[in-house]
Amino acid sequence: MITTADTTPRLEVRGISKSFPGVRALNTVSLRLMLGEVLSVVGENGAGKSTLMKILAGVHSPDTGSLFVNGRPVVLRSVRDAMSHGIALIHQELNLADNLEIGANIFLGREPLRRGLIDNATINTASAELLRRIGLNIPPTALVRSLTTGQQQMVEIAKALSINARVLIMDEPTSSLSAGESERLFHVIRDLRSQGVSILYISHRLAEVQDLSDRVAVLRDGENAGELLRDQISHDSLVRLMVGREISRFFTRTSHQPGPVMLEARDLTTTAWPRHRNSFSIRSGEIVGVAGLVGAGRTEMLRTLFGVDQPLAGEIRVAGRTTLLQCPADAIAAGIALVPEDRKQQGVVLDLSIRRNISLASVHQHSQWGWLNRTVERAQSAEMFQRLRIRAPDDSARTGNLSGGNQQKVVLGKWLALRPRVLLLDEPTRGIDVGAKQEIYQLMDELAGQGLAVLFVSSELEEVIGMSDRVLVMHEGRITGELPRSELTEQSIMHLATCGH
Amino acid sequence: MNGKITGILSVLLVLCLSLAAATADPWYKLLESQFLNLDNLMNLLSRLALYGILGIGVAFVIISSGIDLSIGSLVCLCGVLLAILLKVDYQPERPLSVISIEAASRLITVAEAPRSLPAGTVVRFTGGVGSGLVLTVDSVEGDRITVRETLKRDERDGRLVQAVAVTSMSSDGLSLQVPLLNSASVGDQLQLFLPDGAVTTQKIVSVSTAENFTTLGLARDPGSKYRSGASAVLLKRSQRTPIPAAILLVLLIAGGLGLVHGLLITRLHLQPFVVTLCGLLIYRGVSRWLTNDNPAGFGELQQVLGPVASGRVGLAYRGEDMVFGIPIPFFLLLLIAVLAALFLNRTIWGRYLLALGRNEEAARFSGINTARITVLAYVLCSLLAAVGGMLFAIEFSSISPSSFGNSFELYAIAAAVLGGCSLRGGEGSIAGVVTGTAVMQVLNNLIVLLKIPQSLEATIIGAVILLGVLGDELVRRAAARRRLKS
Repeated sequence: MITTADTTPRLEVRGISKSFPGVRALNTVSLRLMLGEVLSVVGENGAGKSTLMKILAGVHSPDTGSLFVNGRPVVLRSVRDAMSHGIALIHQELNLADNLEIGANIFLGREPLRRGLIDNATINTASAELLRRIGLNIPPTALVRSLTTGQQQMVEIAKALSINARVLIMDEPTSSLSAGESERLFHVIRDLRSQGVSILYISHRLAEVQDLSDRVAVLRDGENAGELLRDQISHDSLVRLMVGREISRFFTRTSHQPGPVMLEARDLTTTAWPRHRNSFSIRSGEIVGVAGLVGAGRTEMLRTLFGVDQPLAGEIRVAGRTTLLQCPADAIAAGIALVPEDRKQQGVVLDLSIRRNISLASVHQHSQWGWLNRTVERAQSAEMFQRLRIRAPDDSARTGNLSGGNQQKVVLGKWLALRPRVLLLDEPTRGIDVGAKQEIYQLMDELAGQGLAVLFVSSELEEVIGMSDRVLVMHEGRITGELPRSELTEQSIMHLATCGH
Repeated sequence: MNGKITGILSVLLVLCLSLAAATADPWYKLLESQFLNLDNLMNLLSRLALYGILGIGVAFVIISSGIDLSIGSLVCLCGVLLAILLKVDYQPERPLSVISIEAASRLITVAEAPRSLPAGTVVRFTGGVGSGLVLTVDSVEGDRITVRETLKRDERDGRLVQAVAVTSMSSDGLSLQVPLLNSASVGDQLQLFLPDGAVTTQKIVSVSTAENFTTLGLARDPGSKYRSGASAVLLKRSQRTPIPAAILLVLLIAGGLGLVHGLLITRLHLQPFVVTLCGLLIYRGVSRWLTNDNPAGFGELQQVLGPVASGRVGLAYRGEDMVFGIPIPFFLLLLIAVLAALFLNRTIWGRYLLALGRNEEAARFSGINTARITVLAYVLCSLLAAVGGMLFAIEFSSISPSSFGNSFELYAIAAAVLGGCSLRGGEGSIAGVVTGTAVMQVLNNLIVLLKIPQSLEATIIGAVILLGVLGDELVRRAAARRRLKS
């Protein structure tokens, strides 16, 4: 390991702020990355980590604040700019052309030429050298497709090294790796560190962070929440910095006497996590939150309950009757509705009007011989438009022109028109402004009051705590705990969500 | 969506007006232009009708965000199938296959012993070198027939057909009597021949049977030489399938092919482009194989079928002559267009089609069986291709299987795109597609009327479509910029 006699930071961020329409993603964040250091950046979902990484990699430019590379101020206008300053970002999703060879991928866009033709000999020698450096014992002529995910990640790293990157930003690199592959990756990271490469490491897995980091910077709500040095890093200290704030008071929750069990899963196994069985039940009038980190298997659970994915094993009971859900239509017929995570892709058809979106799922109920009943459709849409206070000139407006919050209300309107018994919501308030959030919370409470069973997945601990009667916490495909309302704290949830015991 | 129709409608209008002006002399006497000539307009409407039907079909598939490249070949296959199913044949009853003829002993050996062939019966030999010989039976022994005439040489590979003698014929030649002939019926043919080999075939228009003779009415006078001494062979008419059954069968086959396309695309997740490209090749090949690459037609049925494709409902007459009439296929197009528009806009399936074309996933998440609706789109497209194909075949009267329907799919797709269908799916209107087809046909007309070399046709149509799509894109961008500013 190189000693830190050199005190000029490799990369420094001073007072950077960045806003997107409706959201302040970063607020005067500062960060220093030293030579040959592994600095982890942690924080809850939405704390601003990805925005920060994208600014460092030249994808976004900051509204205010400045960047320094080796003490000199720089402006990064593009990814190419960042690369020329020796900064490379390795995305969570790999960016490789898997139909090409390893060497071709490493030198993609920068192919060495010889008499106007690609010089494969040079590519292969140089690639072999890079692969050797990161300990990947595979010929550079192998197709990327034939590699495992872990090996592909190594190719990404080799690619970053090939541009002589001095700063490597890794965004959740282990999210799709097996334990063994992760171990290899850590080995390579330590190796690179000893070669003087600085690494900015982003991960949800606190154990990894604890293991690997020289230093940890914690972000919370787009601001610096604190920093921990090597010997201060512990699971508890990390969680305390990540959460630990007062819960705002805008959650509407009136208590209802829960009714009979509406939805029950027994030993349910999803395709995403074939080894884990989960059982739970939700009563009528109850709001149950599902907490967990991104990738904990919460969305897969909802998809299975809605018939989008088929369970590998186990049974689903709706209102006490075992129900086979082979497609969303089956789930809808059983009285289950899903407000999906990807609103624009799965929730609404952006090019259709509000009215057509609201009626999409229920229009067949009022049709005779397939004939649309436009009178009922219009009345129903008008009712939902008013009841949900959708902000648009009228219900013939194109749904794609609405704000995220209003689009979400359209999705809700579509389901409420069907009078479901069970409402599943996946990240219902993601990307939605505060006002609309509050309206959605109110609506959830109101629906529970009318006897609906509500199950909602959320990565925002505040709303999980604020809205739930009960919380199921998931970790890597398993429900690791169930917390009653009285025991809901951010610490208790984070504890179950990160280590599971 | 309405904006798009207005756009293409104004293009059509401008195109029509300028073409009228360009073909008038002087230019402002539009009503006397070649373009607005009534015959030209009738012709144009007729083409619009046929291509429009194909366009509507392909619009369904495009709206589902798919593509159908097979309809040109399907048009050909349906035309060929209709011709084959409606094939009419005239065959004598119970012909005897000849195995050998021994000229010296006047002996003819047939494949099977004849049921009844009394001495004196006239038979006619067809096929082989001695075709047309008229012979009289002397005696029959099993499968060996001895005749009275001297045979010139040994023969084989022919048929013997039993004939009856014509007992009398009216002086105008339009009716004749033969010994009792129970099997004759109106529509059959009567082949008359003389011992010298002269032969003529006439259609039977009436049949009346008395105690022991039959009186037959003929469509035309066979000529005075047949008044005495003629023999006759009855040729029974057989049509493979009745017309309604044939049409139904073609529709069923086409619908079935559409179903196969749809299932391959939705169940096996093959790409629509690939599936229908294979269809294009397969149906073309099958059509050529079924017809041995020979032109197919409807023969005598053309007279019955013809009016469906080329008949007109008269609107203006000069004396007895019709000056202007709406082609019957145009009414069919109107009917189909109205039904299609109702389907698209007023039924839940049309609604689902528009939704899933734009966002299949959201539609599926709303509980819509998107696979079923997609399959429906392909079935409808193939059915309409069959309707169009049959009409085209009847209109052309003779279709050559290697070229009939070539690149119709591209014209249909182009018309749909011109009419506002987006190849991304989920967008399009029936009125737009019909207007788009009209633009294509007027362009085609323009090439003919302005005497532009026919070889440039494809180039000009291609260029105009490109300009149209380009213009649409520019307008769309300008609108987006304006929205952004406000």
